[in-house]
Parts: sequence; C-alpha cells; structure tokens
Amino acid sequence: MTHQNIVAQVIELITQLPDMRSPAHITEKTGLTGDLGLDSLKVMDLVVLVEDHFDISVPVNELADIKTVGEFATLIGKIVDKHA
Amino acid sequence: MKENARLLAVQAVRQELATLGIDPFGIQIDEILSPTEGLIQGRQTILAGTNNYLGLTFDPDCIAAARDALQSSGTGTTGSRMANGSYAAHRELELDLARFYGKRDAIVFSTGYQANLGMISALAGPGDTVLIDADSHASIYDGCNLSGANTIRFRHNDPEDLAKRMRRLGDEAANAVVVIEGVYSMLGDRAPLREFVDVKNQFGATLLVDEAHSMGVLGEKGQGLCEETGTLDGIDYVVGTFSKSLGNTGGFCVGDAEEMDVLRYASRPYVFTASLPPATIAATRMALRKLEAAQDLRQRIRENSARLHAGLSALGFRLGAPANAVVAVLAGEKIEALRFWHHLLKHGVYVNVMVPPATPGNESLLRCSVSAAHTPEQIDAICAAFASWPGHNAGHQ
Repeated sequence: MTHQNIVAQVIELITQLPDMRSPAHITEKTGLTGDLGLDSLKVMDLVVLVEDHFDISVPVNELADIKTVGEFATLIGKIVDKHA
Repeated sequence: MKENARLLAVQAVRQELATLGIDPFGIQIDEILSPTEGLIQGRQTILAGTNNYLGLTFDPDCIAAARDALQSSGTGTTGSRMANGSYAAHRELELDLARFYGKRDAIVFSTGYQANLGMISALAGPGDTVLIDADSHASIYDGCNLSGANTIRFRHNDPEDLAKRMRRLGDEAANAVVVIEGVYSMLGDRAPLREFVDVKNQFGATLLVDEAHSMGVLGEKGQGLCEETGTLDGIDYVVGTFSKSLGNTGGFCVGDAEEMDVLRYASRPYVFTASLPPATIAATRMALRKLEAAQDLRQRIRENSARLHAGLSALGFRLGAPANAVVAVLAGEKIEALRFWHHLLKHGVYVNVMVPPATPGNESLLRCSVSAAHTPEQIDAICAAFASWPGHNAGHQ
C-alpha cells in the first residue's frame, strides 16, 4: 500500500464523519484540527473508522504529534507494515 | 510570559460560563448539614451530586476513630511512606483491605486518582501495551501517559473489540495490561466483567479493574461488581477508593500477584507523595468494617436508586443506564444542560453537570448519585425538581 493510497483512503474516511464536506478540498497537507475543525471527540471517531478500515490498532500516545492528513497516513502505514 | 494556548482555551470556557452567570465547576457548599444536605447560596439543598453512597461521612464511630487517632498520632505524617516511614496503621489498613477482598496483599495510595496512576505506571512501561476502555476515567488515561506504554483504546464495554485488538498484538498480548472499570462514573453502566475475564484468560494478559463506583454498593459483602458477578478470582488487580462509599480520601489496590511486594517501590505516585494522615487511616479502617456489614445500607441504596430511576423515567427523561447508585439524565446540548443544572440548584437540588468531551456520546449529562442516607422524601423532592424544569416535556422525552 503506497502512502498516496493511504492518504486517499483516509480522506474518504474523513468524509464519512458527520457534517464533513466533500473530499475535494482535503489534501495531504490539510490539518485535522486546524483546517477541518475536528475536535478531540471527532478525531477519536476518525481513529475508530481508520482502525476498522485498516484492521489495525492506533495507540493513543502516537496521536499526540499528528497534525495533518499526511502525518496520519504515515503513522497508519507504519502500523500496517508492523502487522504485515 | 508568553501566551499559553491551553490556558487560553480554559479561560474561554470560564468566560462562557461567566457570561451565562452559571458556574457549576466552582460551586461552594457553605455548610455541610448532613450526608445528604448542605447550605448552598443561602439555601438548604439536597446533595445528589456527591459520591457518598453509604452516607458514612457523619458516622459516629468513624468520627470517633478519627478523633482518637488525631489526638494519639497527630495531624499528619509530613512525608512519604518510603522516604519518611509508614505508620503501623497504614500497614494495618492494607492488611484489612487484603482480608476484605480475600487477596494476598494490598497497597494504599493517597488518593484514588493516584492508585490508578501508580498501578498502571508500575505495571507497564515504554515498549509495553496497555489496553483501556474508551470511556475510562482520566486517572486511567493519565496512568497510561505516565507509564510511557503504547495505549490502545477498545470500544466501551465491548469484550469482542478487546479480543480483536489482543489478536492484532500477536505474541505481545500475553504481556499486555487490560484496564476496565466495574461501574462507569458518567452513566453508571456496568462492565460485562465475566466476558472481559474470559478474554483476559484467553490471551494470558493481566487484568486491572477499578471498582471505585461499585465498592460498598454491589455484592453481598460490598466488594463490588467483581463479587456480584463472581469474577474476583479472575481479576489480577482490583483498584478502589476511600473517597466514595468509605466517606474519606485515599485509594488502594489489592492483588494476589507476587509483584505486589515490589510494585509500590516502582510506583512514583506512591513514592513521591505524602502518606495519608492518621485520622484518615483510622476512620477508613472503621468505615471498611461498617461497609462489610452494611447489607441494610446496600438495600437502602438499591431502593433509593430504583425510586429515583423510576421517578425520572416516569417523567419522560432519558437515563444513561438501568437503576444503579449513579443515575444520569441525558441532557442534550451543553448550554441547555447548564441552564437545567442551575434550575435544579435554585430548586434546592445539587447534582453534577457533565459536558463533552468528558461525557460519552457527545451529550451533556445531569448526573445524580444516590446515597443510602437519602430519605424517600428526598428522592421524591429530587424528582419534583426535575419535573419543574420547563423544558422537560419538550426536549428530554
């Protein structure tokens, strides 16, 4: 799974969150809290969606430094590789 | 000093409350009149927002024990047990707790918060994995943070989701620590303990259960949900608090593991804090004896909980869980919930208001905690105050 592939899947998952607009404006550089305005609860909702979709567990302590869609995709890729 | 973004965020919330003229998080009880009544803003108020489940805070024997210890042993210990010495009574309380649970040993901490902080951070470290229920108390999250371990959340009260995440860990699952609560403080809902013990056994992991809100309330002896569900033998560590049913302050952990001998020395929240004062230890030892024999009080709390739950249900309120010592009314949007809370206070009833993100499901709560010391008339008065909220027929059915 390439990084760009994971980014695309994360963007698709973000659009499944309530009150989220179309994926057209979301890119790798989009900030999860800053640009998308996700509060801490919505971020955790997104984490659950990601965990189910990729069949992984994302440690809470790894999320502290995640600011953008691209950084989240990098973390997901790292965890997916570890499980493989 | 440069701007602190976190403090600015708190300041914004404080400002919002000040604009509303409602401050539930700065409430002052000017005088405590009894376990169930206080003087707030000049008004005699029913206290339904404490955790005084058995109503032992004014028990004459507990007060006498505290007074005797105060006179014989002084006001405080002035240091930590490891650095400055334990008093004999600290160890005696640990032996009392171990005997009460039928476990090999116990460790006493200075608060319930520190008990979770101290146990989790002593059991796990960097490179280890702790799996916690998503609705865990802040003390559990903070304990994980202090431990430096990988922290994985599983869906609230969902043993199958835990099992799925344990499977993903592979060989590491046997070294993982699983942390759950018996009864959850926000909604008062109970964990499926038997199923969680089965998952823990399947993978050979370690299970820690926080019984803060069920000790004294559930089980014939008052050991909590672990006793009621017959799962005590399958739980490695039970954590609890002195600040709810026991009517004091402090926390503890009991367990059978050999590690109990060394855990305290590996626990920074145990090592680097002052130990509990003699009066607190003495009153808690007396309260524990009372708690064990308090079948009558447990019956009272069941009756009071059922009465409040039925009364609020009949009024059309949505409640968080079946009847239990915590009865939580789902109160929707934050500002409306704050106004509702203020209305109850003006009508002589103090409850807790909880707002997101501290609440599950992104909904505000008006949380009542029931005491064995509440009279049926007080329970009815609580229901009457809820009924008098003008919005209750419109928005909360």
